[in-house]
Amino acid sequence: MTDIVKRRFAALPGPDQYLLRSISAIALLALAIGVAGGVLTALARAGFLDLLPETAYRMLTLHGVNVFFFWLYMAQAALLLGFAAIEDGRGLALRGVAVVGFAAMLGGFLVSLYAASSGTPLLYDGTPALAAEEPATLLAFNGGYVLLGLGLMVLPVAPIATLLRKRPDAPREPMSATGFALFVWAGFLIVSGFAAIHAFLPGMLWALGLGAFPASQGTNWHILFHNLHYLPLMATVLIWYVLVQALTGVKSVFGARFSKIVFSAYLVFVPPTSLYHMFLEPDLPATVRVVGSLLSLFVSVPTLTAFLIIIASLEVHARANGARGLFGWLGHLPWHNPAMAAMGAAVLNMGLGLALAFVLIQAELAPLLSDTFFVPGYFHFFTVGTVSFTLLAAFSVMLPGLGGRNIAWPGVMRWMPWLATFGLLLFGGAGVAAGYLGVPRRVMDISYGGEAPAYWQALMATVGVGGSVMALALAVFAAGVAMALLPRRIGATVGLPDTGLGWGAAAIPAGTKAWVGPLAILVIVLAMYGFTTIGFELMQSLPLTASGGAGH
Amino acid sequence: MNEDFWLVLPVAIVWAILALVYALAPWGDMIGYARVWGFGAVLFLGLAALLWRRTRAG
Repeated sequence: MTDIVKRRFAALPGPDQYLLRSISAIALLALAIGVAGGVLTALARAGFLDLLPETAYRMLTLHGVNVFFFWLYMAQAALLLGFAAIEDGRGLALRGVAVVGFAAMLGGFLVSLYAASSGTPLLYDGTPALAAEEPATLLAFNGGYVLLGLGLMVLPVAPIATLLRKRPDAPREPMSATGFALFVWAGFLIVSGFAAIHAFLPGMLWALGLGAFPASQGTNWHILFHNLHYLPLMATVLIWYVLVQALTGVKSVFGARFSKIVFSAYLVFVPPTSLYHMFLEPDLPATVRVVGSLLSLFVSVPTLTAFLIIIASLEVHARANGARGLFGWLGHLPWHNPAMAAMGAAVLNMGLGLALAFVLIQAELAPLLSDTFFVPGYFHFFTVGTVSFTLLAAFSVMLPGLGGRNIAWPGVMRWMPWLATFGLLLFGGAGVAAGYLGVPRRVMDISYGGEAPAYWQALMATVGVGGSVMALALAVFAAGVAMALLPRRIGATVGLPDTGLGWGAAAIPAGTKAWVGPLAILVIVLAMYGFTTIGFELMQSLPLTASGGAGH
Repeated sequence: MNEDFWLVLPVAIVWAILALVYALAPWGDMIGYARVWGFGAVLFLGLAALLWRRTRAG
């Protein structure tokens, strides 16, 4: 089935293929730089590497800027354009607009790379107070993000125009579920681009002497950040939806319209759930705090619903094709394909990330945990284990179809998502425990002159080991995918051997049960209660408790 | 039925309502939220209009 998708990419016009390869290459370059910065930061925090404080903060800045902004958003741009272009098989409409958008994003990448490598390291949120004496540093730092935002506002116009184009054979047909999801994803990217400009343009104007000091950049950052961490999850679920069909032939058993409703719900739930970023505001009324805490639980509703659609559809089709036992059908999935392995690990990591996220967004716990290592401990389950591996899985299907080679070392690649998950369990487990026990985030030397508890350093050493393992696994997987950017050898064929699965063709008997999806949701809810209870027990054992003031 | 239009229109409406709530909120510095969600409301209203036009033109 994957060969069908690869052939659709191979049929795209040459200029479309060149554009998609170019954006993908820059995305993977940003990932490589970001992973290198991340490993050095983890080793420094573990005490394995003695870096000067400014050097360590520069590594952390390079890590955050390149991974969170340029890897995640360049990758989304490439995949949005690619899957929109093959939706009706006629390539991109308004390709020139996409090129202009990419040029702005590429300019932003280069400017941000310069800004993060010189001047005071501002970390990825670019706190302007750190550059109050260095307007040139803030100008470059914010300029990179503003260019990225500009690109994100321009580039999605091309996929929107592509998806609005009518099919010659069915001009009155509504969009497919995938087409509709791509359409709203493009709209959400434009809003995020606007939010980036809204957050960082005032700092640029101040640096140029054209405006006041950007005192409210912190609040504007929270608005942008809400979109920035929500959007990749929407992209992840959409990619699962597309790749499951490509790898197994299975479409949603609930029909295209229900899938569209779920993707639309993503956008309906975005603004109301943003209140939890305000929990650290001192003048936020208690009633708003409670409402915000309740609304924040809705943030996961579309993700979990889409997850249920995919899992239930897979399970009933597997049973229709002879799979037996509660979990027996899982063994029938094409795990030898690295894309399937990446998605499987991504689902597991998403469950862990969601359970921990539910702890952090509770109004009573947010002030206690937001400035601790709990935050990086939990969100790497999302950024690495869930989103990055899913984006790489999509690239592993798209790039070989664009005139490139097959992905390298498929036998090794299929194990990398699981090795990364093992590293994440060390990094995240020790990091979350360290956060519960008060280890601060963004502080490189936590010895406090020998006054800090001895177990802090032991936990951070585990974080360093786990971080190194997950970074190694991610780097190998990304390198294997990047090999598909190289020109295909003469006479070589496209793509891995077909998975051989065509489950979608089988009729589903009435009354076929699918319990694994609902059971998985139950496990996530129980884990949320478990992590919350553990958190209270650990924090009550501390000699003192202090609330934070900066947040994430 | 133009199902795509009817699925995007509620997004624009919810975002517009939230933008209004944030603009009038008496706590914190919420005007930034109102600007971003307000921009999104206008954008998705425009996208809904394009979807309506697509089906009509069909």
